[in-house]
Amino acid sequence: MSLLELDSVHTYYGDSHVLEGVSLTVEEGETVALMGRNGVGKTTTLRSILQLTPPSEGSITYRGEELVGRETHEVAGSGVGWIPEERRVFAQLSVEENVRIAVPEGADVDAALELAWDAFPDLADIPERNAGALSGGQQQMLAIARGLVGNNDLLLVDEPSEGLAPLIVEEVRDALARAAEDTTILLVEQNLPMALDLADRFYVVDHGSVVDSGDADEVDADSDRLTRYLSA
Amino acid sequence: MADETGRDWVRQYAREHVVHLVVVALLGLYPFFYDAITHSIVGAEATTVLPQMETMVAVFYFGLFAMSFDFISGYTGYLSFGHAIFYGTGAYFVVLVSNGKIPLLGAGTPFMVSLVLAGLLAVVIALLVGSISFRLSGVYFAMITLGVSQVAYVFIRGWDFVSSNPKDGAAVVGHPTGFNIGVPWVDSLNLAIGPLVGDELSLAWIHLGTTQVSYYLVGLVVLACYLVMQRLIHSPFGKVMVAIRENEERAEAVGYEPYRYKLAAFAVSGFFAAIAGGLFAGFRRSVAPENSMYFLVTGDALLSSIIGGFGTLAGPLYGRLFDETLREFLSKEGAGGGLLPYLQGHVPGGVMDAVIYNGLTVGEAINTFLNGHASLYIGVVFVVFVLYVPGGLLGTIRGRAGGPLAKRVGRLLGGDGE
Amino acid sequence: MILPLLADALGQFFRPDTLVNVFVDGLSKAAIYAMIALGLTLVFGLLGVLNFAHGSLTMIGAYLGGLVMVLVVGSATGDVARLAAFFFALVFVFAALAALGGLMEVGLIRELYDRPPVYQILLTFGLTLILDELTRIAVTFYGLQPVAKWQDALGTKPAFMATSVHVGGVDLSPLSLFEIALGAVVVLGVWLFLTRTRYGLVIRAGSEDDEMTAALGIDVHRVFTVVFALGSGLAGIAGVLLMWDQVWGASLPLAQQTLLPAFVVVIVGGLGTFRGTVVAALLVGMVDATMTWWFQNAVSFAGLPQMMIFLVLVVTLVVRPQGLFGIAEVGDH
Repeated sequence: MSLLELDSVHTYYGDSHVLEGVSLTVEEGETVALMGRNGVGKTTTLRSILQLTPPSEGSITYRGEELVGRETHEVAGSGVGWIPEERRVFAQLSVEENVRIAVPEGADVDAALELAWDAFPDLADIPERNAGALSGGQQQMLAIARGLVGNNDLLLVDEPSEGLAPLIVEEVRDALARAAEDTTILLVEQNLPMALDLADRFYVVDHGSVVDSGDADEVDADSDRLTRYLSA
Repeated sequence: MADETGRDWVRQYAREHVVHLVVVALLGLYPFFYDAITHSIVGAEATTVLPQMETMVAVFYFGLFAMSFDFISGYTGYLSFGHAIFYGTGAYFVVLVSNGKIPLLGAGTPFMVSLVLAGLLAVVIALLVGSISFRLSGVYFAMITLGVSQVAYVFIRGWDFVSSNPKDGAAVVGHPTGFNIGVPWVDSLNLAIGPLVGDELSLAWIHLGTTQVSYYLVGLVVLACYLVMQRLIHSPFGKVMVAIRENEERAEAVGYEPYRYKLAAFAVSGFFAAIAGGLFAGFRRSVAPENSMYFLVTGDALLSSIIGGFGTLAGPLYGRLFDETLREFLSKEGAGGGLLPYLQGHVPGGVMDAVIYNGLTVGEAINTFLNGHASLYIGVVFVVFVLYVPGGLLGTIRGRAGGPLAKRVGRLLGGDGE
Repeated sequence: MILPLLADALGQFFRPDTLVNVFVDGLSKAAIYAMIALGLTLVFGLLGVLNFAHGSLTMIGAYLGGLVMVLVVGSATGDVARLAAFFFALVFVFAALAALGGLMEVGLIRELYDRPPVYQILLTFGLTLILDELTRIAVTFYGLQPVAKWQDALGTKPAFMATSVHVGGVDLSPLSLFEIALGAVVVLGVWLFLTRTRYGLVIRAGSEDDEMTAALGIDVHRVFTVVFALGSGLAGIAGVLLMWDQVWGASLPLAQQTLLPAFVVVIVGGLGTFRGTVVAALLVGMVDATMTWWFQNAVSFAGLPQMMIFLVLVVTLVVRPQGLFGIAEVGDH
């Protein structure tokens, strides 16, 4: 049984029919990249899994359990973490508070903080700073830290390198690679080299459905197979 | 050829407006109907339930105010929580002109002229207020208009130019006859309004008392205003208003300048709101801050709009009719009939004195929980409508019929509609 | 001719004892405004609902508090006992209003989460009508005049509050000092709740981004109910305090008298921000106190304080719509 399975998922965003039958699977332990031009439905796919934008048709199962129709917090609570586009850290809360709130109720907060500070020593230096005052790269690390402490077996990561300088992108890549060691990751990423570096497999999305898939080592960033769908 | 197209146009117009004609006809016959039925064998019951003439006049002018509120709030989606400022402006302007306090306008200025000038003054205010408010939307827009109208309320409450006791408002002094509705300066084409000082009218065998005359005159003005607003709603201008409500960004992307349309719609709504205020002051011959400029006056318009149907234009009038009818029914004084005098007159004393609980008689219970407390039940109806009947009375009917009634009936009658 | 009068008034205003009096008055008004507005700001911050019924809840709190006091306090009751009864009333009213608020949220407001925000405003407006009229029925049933301030409740104040206290050359009202103290305690209490408890953390996060909060596994809707209850409870205890204040008093009109300034404070401060509400309450309180002095001593315009408060609202919305501390997300919340 796959960890995550999407079967013919249709989702509307307002009037717009964004997902027109998306099907994909993610096995436990692997990192899967979801690639495609802007606006084809990659973010909507992640939002559909979390029921933030509930699908109108189709099925999404996680460990065999149907997610469609459930509440977002229930989906998140069963081990699905979200590291969204634009990070969305809580700007008015401190770094430490951002991590704290991601710790599930009842779990050991101190241990979680330790985990976060170990993974991101830069953040450990500034726990009281308001998250809104952090740089883009620091916010991204914070967002990933939130994903790590949340007892998640599956992380939905959306455009982590967006808007970041190349050096920082490297750090983000490293952080995600470390996370991938004990978590399954579904990664949406326009930065092809990074995506293919991290991923085991990939899917290509175009016009709301999956048009190609394969192993990450089959292709390069400049393979025709990808560029036909990805160039602007 | 020209003659034929002329006739065609009239036929087309009539077809599209059959529903309006029916409603106008019904309203036109109401005074006779009321008179007849209240003197009939079911007179007591009829008086209890049906709104009296004076109440209906209030339904008309406040209904116009509520319709003007719907014109801006229901069609563009911008909630004008400060709408009372226009109503108050109209009312105070009319009273001040007739008291000779407005420079350049003597006390003898025809009422109709005052109304139009009041409307124009409201347009100026609307443009000023709109210019600072329409940069915002949603809650912020509602709050800034509320703030402005409250500033006006506090101001008019304390400005002693208005009267010697501005807290209580101003009354019409030195204008002993009623205000005239009709063609200005042509005496024979004018009739005065006012429950006491208005004109009576005798035509053939029909005799209309002062309140009935006021009913028709005020009703005519309100009808005319409604038809103008209705025309605007069904014009390209109105379509842009709705587009702004549905998706302002898209409307802008398509090429319209929402800001201009919003300002224009706001000005139109202010114009008619002021006319409504002027009619109110002209009929009642006095105005107070609480019943014209206070934010709860806008609240009443909101009530009427929701119950009648937001975004339907005519709905608020029906909503106000419901509101006033219920208030008269439950009024403590029993002024237009109502439950209390009916029960006192028709229910045996024994029943009224029967004790329900702990010394509380039936009569006392009715007095405590029903009479004078129409607001409670209107509030309940309002909440129920907000939750379960979002289209209001007219909106729900339109939903069932598939579109504005006038159009639907028009189509049914064989025209091509619009 | 006006200038000498103006100069005279200015001279009077800038005397130390005047300034101290106005300052203390301003602080006590600020305390009241803060207590009135905090509940509203919490609810708007998290739920995005501008609760029009907030003023009615304060009014009900005032009447309930007055009821407790009138029942418990007799003419022979000592000052300490009266204060004790007052604190009991605070707790009782908080619980009662919180329960009422929770019921309102679960039973009614929750139905409208999927609809455009305007419906929530409309619903709370309808609730205000219902609550006000029900209160009117109850109050007249027991023989009180709904429009007049409840004199008996005012009379349950401790005796020491009736006379001014002489502090450092200035005459101060003990009631004002009590209001300042209570306001400070409430503000501090809410601040501690928001910053030191997990619930407070969730409320702050949810106020900023309720989608992300849900995606972290938190049932935001349940928090909505708690926050609405909390906001209602706070509105209630503000009312209990006002029951003792001659300027306000327990009466039907108290609902609108508190609602409008609450709106001003919440919007000027920045919708939904705790810090903004406190700072704005100080600003509005000082404006109110200053303008009241000017009305009493120089300008014969009775509505001056009120008008200035609304002008503050309008100016804020024109110059900085997001308020003093709000985040620049103008438009529909």
